[in-house]
Amino acid sequence: MMYEDDVPPENRVDLAYSGLDLFPEHLSEKADRIQSLHLNNNRILVLPRAVSLFQELRHLDISANGLTHVSGELTHLPNLRTFIAKNNLLEDGALPKELGRCLSLQVLNLSGNGFMEFPEQIEGMAGLRALYFGANRLRTVPSEIKHMSRLEILYLGGNQISSLPLEVGSLSSLMSLVLCDNRLESIPPHLARLRNLRSLSLHNNRIAALPSEIIALRNLTELSLRGNPLVVNFVRDLSYDPPTLLELAGRGVKNSGIPYGEGDVPPNLYRYLSLARKCPNPKCTGVYFDARVKQIKFFCNIYA
Amino acid sequence: MAGMDVEMRGNAIDEMLKKKRDLNPLPEPETLDDLVQGLKIIFQDNEINVEEVNEYMSKYKTNAREWYKYAKFDHHRYTRNLVDQGNGKFNLIVLCWGEGQGSGIHSHSDSHCFMKVLDGTLDETMYSWPSDSEDERELQKTETHSYGKDSVAYINDSMGLHRVENSSHTNTAVSLHLYSPPFDMVECFDQRTGHRKKVRVTFYSKFGQRTPFGCTSVETLEPENN
Repeated sequence: MMYEDDVPPENRVDLAYSGLDLFPEHLSEKADRIQSLHLNNNRILVLPRAVSLFQELRHLDISANGLTHVSGELTHLPNLRTFIAKNNLLEDGALPKELGRCLSLQVLNLSGNGFMEFPEQIEGMAGLRALYFGANRLRTVPSEIKHMSRLEILYLGGNQISSLPLEVGSLSSLMSLVLCDNRLESIPPHLARLRNLRSLSLHNNRIAALPSEIIALRNLTELSLRGNPLVVNFVRDLSYDPPTLLELAGRGVKNSGIPYGEGDVPPNLYRYLSLARKCPNPKCTGVYFDARVKQIKFFCNIYA
Repeated sequence: MAGMDVEMRGNAIDEMLKKKRDLNPLPEPETLDDLVQGLKIIFQDNEINVEEVNEYMSKYKTNAREWYKYAKFDHHRYTRNLVDQGNGKFNLIVLCWGEGQGSGIHSHSDSHCFMKVLDGTLDETMYSWPSDSEDERELQKTETHSYGKDSVAYINDSMGLHRVENSSHTNTAVSLHLYSPPFDMVECFDQRTGHRKKVRVTFYSKFGQRTPFGCTSVETLEPENN
């Protein structure tokens, strides 16, 4: 595999597709020579404490095993650069709490598992260069991700992510950002700070418009946008549902600051007036109830 | 052959080829090298029997050890790695698709195109050619297919345009493509408008050696319209 070019063939052990039910602890007899271990596509359900016997291990692939638990002893491997555990049955809490202590780790692949939350331990891994978290069940990305300052590759395709924290823009080493097949409605303009970004994968999301700042990314040569409701000509396509008289009256009361108390209006109207929502356009002090015009970057009852 | 109608001519060629193959059977493609040698024999003729090539490529059973040296992946886009130039009659290329990587919508320069999946799964979405009028219209999807290991697909311009992609977020994909006659330009199409653009085809590596494109100002790579 690509990543193990630093290991001579005689120090690689390939036991993929070997019908193993247990982690091959007996190999520890030759531990001083084993730098790369392929155990993918077996039936090893648990990565046991014995893994720490392999002190020379740099690359470990334990993908497609039905793995449910990763022992904390993994963090006792001083030379571990690559840990690949994709297509397993790992869920929230399956990773050792001390994973962040694995300072040598550069590539972590947890794609194809059942994580619903971004593991806290990973947030602090400032030395990680590549994180593959595709096809899990993530709904958000924590703002603490900004601590992963060496991250060059961030693969988050195939999750349920509906928004990105602006802190993703702080990942100054990022070269490849994959967000395809998610539920993003927008991306923060702060992504324009990713000077080293060469590829951005956004296809199959719910993005209506891109922040114009994105054109500042000089190194961005690959961009995928298909499968998004990008509005081509929003002026022409603008559809407008006029507000009701009730709504207009409500807006009038609220916008003019007309004082009223519970006894001044019927209870249903009093309740209605309490439902007024502030217009998200920071320049507009108006309110709306049900009807509003949603334009590309802002929506506002004044400009309706 | 002049004076015969198209169908009669086709049948006559098939007969001729059948006779030829019965006298000199093609080597069973047990290795990638066997496959290349057999393809060179097939393509010595000027007329190509698509079925025969399809069947022959299907017979080769993928073995990663044989194509490993061509399987060079890139983090940012799929790669094209030249394997053989088929004595000028065809290009044989290994394409490497990282997770989630796909091509833009493209045509095939009036050539035959065979694609055999060597690893992973590739999804193909076919589109009709845009109309010749100046209107900006979204391209019409026609068919979709999914190809697994060892399957072989075929396309030429009369069948339409297509996009090929690795939709998997966990597994990479590798495919073997044969293009005859070889071409170095394709037309790429914008899905939303139908606009087309000619794009030069480049190689990430040739015969297992990484090519240095992208390093000089002359050889810059055109991004995929994705």
